[in-house]
Amino acid sequence: MKTPSCPGFDNLRLSRRQLIKAGGMGALGLTLPKILAGSEYPGGRPPARAKSVIFLFQWGGPSHLDMFDLKPDAPSEYRSPHKPIRTSNPDLLTSEHLPRVAKIMDRFTVIRSVTHNMKNHNSAGYYALSGHAPPTDDQRLRDSIDLRPAYGSVVDRFAPNPLSGLPTFVSFPHVVADGSRTPGQAASFLGKRHDPLFVPRNPNDPNFTLPELSLPNNLSIDRLHARRGLQELIDRQARLLDHSAEARGLDDYYKNAIAMLNSERVREAFDLSAEPAKVRDAYGRTTYGQSCLLARRLVEHGVKFATCYFSSGIGGQSITDGGWDTHGFNDTRMYPIVEQYHFPITETTLPTLIYDLENRGLLDETLVVWMGEFGRTPKINKNASRDHWPNCYSVLLAGGGVKRGYIHGASDETASNPIEKPVKLEDLSATIYYLLGIDPTSEYHDSQGRPLMISSGEPILDVVA
Amino acid sequence: MRSPSPAFSSALLLGASVLVCPLSAQDSASVTRDPSPVSYRNDILPVITRAGCNLGACHGAQTGKGELTLSLRGEDPVKDHKALVEKFVNLGAPEKSYLLRKAILDVRHDGGKRFGKESESYDLLLRWIADGAPLDRPGEPSLVSLEATPQEQVLFAPEDSLRISVTAHYSDGSIRDVNRWAIYEPTALNVEIDPDGGVKSLRPGETTVNVRYLGLQAPVNLAFVPERPDFVWSGPPVRNFIDEALQAKWRTLRMNPSEPCDDATYVRRIHLDLMGLVPTEVEARAFVADTDPDKRAKLVDALLARHEFADFWALKWADLLRVEEKVLDTKGVAAFHGWIRRSIAENKPIDRFAREVVSSLGSTYEVAPANYYRALRAPDQRAEAIAQIFLGVRLNCAKCHNHPSERWTMDDYYEFSAVFDGIDYDIKENKRFDKSDKNNFVGEQVVMFADKLELKDPRTGQPPKARLLGESAELARDPKRLEELGRWMTSPEHPLFARVQINRIWFHLMGRGLVDPVDDFRATNPPSNPALLEALTDDFVKNGFDLRHAVRTICASHAYQLGTEPNATNFDDEINFARALPRRLGAEQLLDSVHLALLGPEGRPSFEGHKEPMRAAQLPGVQAVYRSNKPTDGDRFVRLFGKPPRLTNSDTERTSDTSLAQVFELTSGSTLNGLLMREGNALDRLLESKRPDREIVESLYWTLLTRAPSGEEWSATEDYLSSAADRRAALEDIAWALLNAKEFLLRR
Repeated sequence: MKTPSCPGFDNLRLSRRQLIKAGGMGALGLTLPKILAGSEYPGGRPPARAKSVIFLFQWGGPSHLDMFDLKPDAPSEYRSPHKPIRTSNPDLLTSEHLPRVAKIMDRFTVIRSVTHNMKNHNSAGYYALSGHAPPTDDQRLRDSIDLRPAYGSVVDRFAPNPLSGLPTFVSFPHVVADGSRTPGQAASFLGKRHDPLFVPRNPNDPNFTLPELSLPNNLSIDRLHARRGLQELIDRQARLLDHSAEARGLDDYYKNAIAMLNSERVREAFDLSAEPAKVRDAYGRTTYGQSCLLARRLVEHGVKFATCYFSSGIGGQSITDGGWDTHGFNDTRMYPIVEQYHFPITETTLPTLIYDLENRGLLDETLVVWMGEFGRTPKINKNASRDHWPNCYSVLLAGGGVKRGYIHGASDETASNPIEKPVKLEDLSATIYYLLGIDPTSEYHDSQGRPLMISSGEPILDVVA
Repeated sequence: MRSPSPAFSSALLLGASVLVCPLSAQDSASVTRDPSPVSYRNDILPVITRAGCNLGACHGAQTGKGELTLSLRGEDPVKDHKALVEKFVNLGAPEKSYLLRKAILDVRHDGGKRFGKESESYDLLLRWIADGAPLDRPGEPSLVSLEATPQEQVLFAPEDSLRISVTAHYSDGSIRDVNRWAIYEPTALNVEIDPDGGVKSLRPGETTVNVRYLGLQAPVNLAFVPERPDFVWSGPPVRNFIDEALQAKWRTLRMNPSEPCDDATYVRRIHLDLMGLVPTEVEARAFVADTDPDKRAKLVDALLARHEFADFWALKWADLLRVEEKVLDTKGVAAFHGWIRRSIAENKPIDRFAREVVSSLGSTYEVAPANYYRALRAPDQRAEAIAQIFLGVRLNCAKCHNHPSERWTMDDYYEFSAVFDGIDYDIKENKRFDKSDKNNFVGEQVVMFADKLELKDPRTGQPPKARLLGESAELARDPKRLEELGRWMTSPEHPLFARVQINRIWFHLMGRGLVDPVDDFRATNPPSNPALLEALTDDFVKNGFDLRHAVRTICASHAYQLGTEPNATNFDDEINFARALPRRLGAEQLLDSVHLALLGPEGRPSFEGHKEPMRAAQLPGVQAVYRSNKPTDGDRFVRLFGKPPRLTNSDTERTSDTSLAQVFELTSGSTLNGLLMREGNALDRLLESKRPDREIVESLYWTLLTRAPSGEEWSATEDYLSSAADRRAALEDIAWALLNAKEFLLRR
């Protein structure tokens, strides 16, 4: 029988607070030691370099060999059939189909040595969305409260926005799934209060609105206020609010919901019609393009973690929708598909987002993460396409305190394995928390009450500017 | 029949020290061990553990730190010895050993300075190395038990501190004060503990201090009671043994209970707890008007006989027993849920129910409880699930390591798992809807006991022997052993089964377990009132594991009938049941109650995949809610409010926490607004009745909140209604406000 490793095992470490208690250093008259290797922030939080994160999740798994880790000297069965072109980072080549992307590579850190061992979308997706290895490599890994929360939920737990403002964590425009809903998109054992405000609507739809922020036709805002007035009158009677924390907590949510329904600022944040047509065009009139524009509006208005999913499904067989999973199944072929669909969307949207953030002075305080759940097989398969490859792939970071025009780690001559500075997804998670000023060794409790660290990796200090 | 061994029973002395050392007379003379020579096991390991070297964040990490890897918290002393002497000990020049130089920060050490050169730790290590750093010494005594005293103590202000004394007992009869080397972990953060075991209270309240020393542990239960010089015991009534046990503790803690709740609150509470529904206006007003002094007890009897009781309490078991369609399929879910519901309806004793769940084999369409093993596909899954659900033991940690503060070891984990090795499936057909999901089954399966072994102990690569949890005898490889498991587990002598079951019933009625969480029984998580748990367990066993008897007994207590409003003596206590703690209604309670109140007794929500509307509490499985492509309002609603997907073995999978999305659903969402606007609903009927506005408002209050409006409410709402241009809309607004009042949303 297969005995998968215990998912929390490497996390059964103690927090700094407990270390100190258990170590009993106080009695020995010692000062707070630098216990954790790599901790440059004794006594608590690292300084926040990023105010917010735009997490662009490339579901399905884009090919690192055709985008950011080209191997023009590799044998033909490995190398990209696309012509390599130079980019604004002299050490980096990209595909001839990505000339605009090439121009912005001097803004990015590219990590070329990301590595893990989950070959199925759901397990790898969960790993990428949470920074924690799933218990098994399962095509239908099931979402349950045994699994870890999404990054944004952890941020909401440790560095929430104040009540009655913008939510901390917003995700859109899809739920990602491969047969079953991919874990790692919500709060899991942290509790529903840390779930994202999830916007399952198409921002490219001319009538895009947020259902939560829109009242039903029969209900005006005045009528809602009248209802709230009556509710407050009734709540005064039983005095539950005076002596029940549960009642007060519940009432806080009403305050917040009604404040949001009432708030110009919140409505504005989601109102894409306020953007000039030129800007909307520049992002691309696609679901993904307009979602990236929404992400920019949200962080501009104060959302801390905006997760934008490229697609709901893994796709790869269509030039009109779907993700990056280009196996060449059912007589399709990877290259015509990415050339006509995935690359043009990326070409339009990603540089626009970076320029726009930069022009608004937001890039320095906004961390942009561009990543999939894995890369693709270095060796081109019999369908002239590529399959799943978690052993080595590339992740892009920009803004938010990371280096510009930097390449971290390296892969071998066929981009099959890291040969320099391998990076685990755990390390990437620690890096994201670190940049946000959240101590990656912070601790939460799972549904069984076990204390666990939010990340079991080490921040990659080399990528920090 | 095998009955649980006495050793196992004595290990569960709740609220008391787990380890009692049987010292004979001549041994107990306080022999202090000769301080030299230094022993690796008895002196060095404590130094290393206390310095934090083998913690998970340091060298105890799976891959170690730097050049040194130690076992987590010293779990494997032999391996650790090898790691230390190989590279970190310099026998030729002991003081040059890296072990010492790193620890005192004479050389770079990312872990910082662990102790000074003048410390006892340093001295012990140096002497040990100078002596050749041996692993074992011939005839060396070994640690056999740990004693922490006091085992329990109540301190009254102004007294606010005490010292825990920790004694290690060794195989040669010697004892040793290990205060300085032990580690102290409080379960509640109302105390501060210094490294030598000195405890100081930060605020009143109770805590358990888990004292650890090497592999052993001992809990110390402490209560800090405020002075309250004016305290006068209010002398509340004693209705049964529950009140006796609770009141004994309240008096000790100088705490008076809240006032009892009124009849209106009681009738609402008992309807919600027993049937998951609010009472109708007619039921509520009849009860309040009834002058029979015995009416509360009679109401309990009446509700216990209603079919809604079986629906609502079957739901609780269906949540725990993985009644979901992906593995069991729709037919299996219907069979298993139907069996659970019938078991509750006919009041099958819980011990028999549990025996049938753990020992049924056969077709999952014909032998309904065999679906439990259909859901649990691997031996270790079965062991974890059964230990947690039926025995309140969370075994999961022991899958990968021997947790220093848990009783259960990896041996226990794999050997108990082996009990279930050999359960196999004859898959008659599988028309799974998801080809890629190996855990999706649609079609009949026969659960059987096959002659094959799949489980291996990862440490040895060998199949472990089969052994019941906490027992020593090996079980024979025989299908009958599942029946033996059932008999052993549900025996009245088993120290956990009856306790766990009655504690769970208590939790459902009182909102919190005496042991809480209810599936986490261990010496270091003691019950808040051990005497009460014992008394409830005795009563439960004596009455044949009878669910209805247990419910009747708990509901009859004065404690169950307390109000929510705290007083000056109980406001900061949440664990002693001296007042009722308001809690949000569960997903099904909320949706079914809204339907009942707005659409009348026939009001039912709809769920995808079910032709006929039904109460949410009657939903057999979860497919409609979790896999539906076209979720109804009802599907979305119960999911949003915390109906569990039934994928784990824990009571904690069902959630009752609040989210912004829930409040949006109630405020601007479609479910509640749809019901308020539906034609022919209770609001229409009220308006059509042509009764005066005052009566309309009164009736609405009784229907939704189970009480009459106050004077202020009466005038405000009557005025709101009569001055409205659109009376229907005004009544919708009032009803919305009542449904969103905390009095509606909270069980109180």
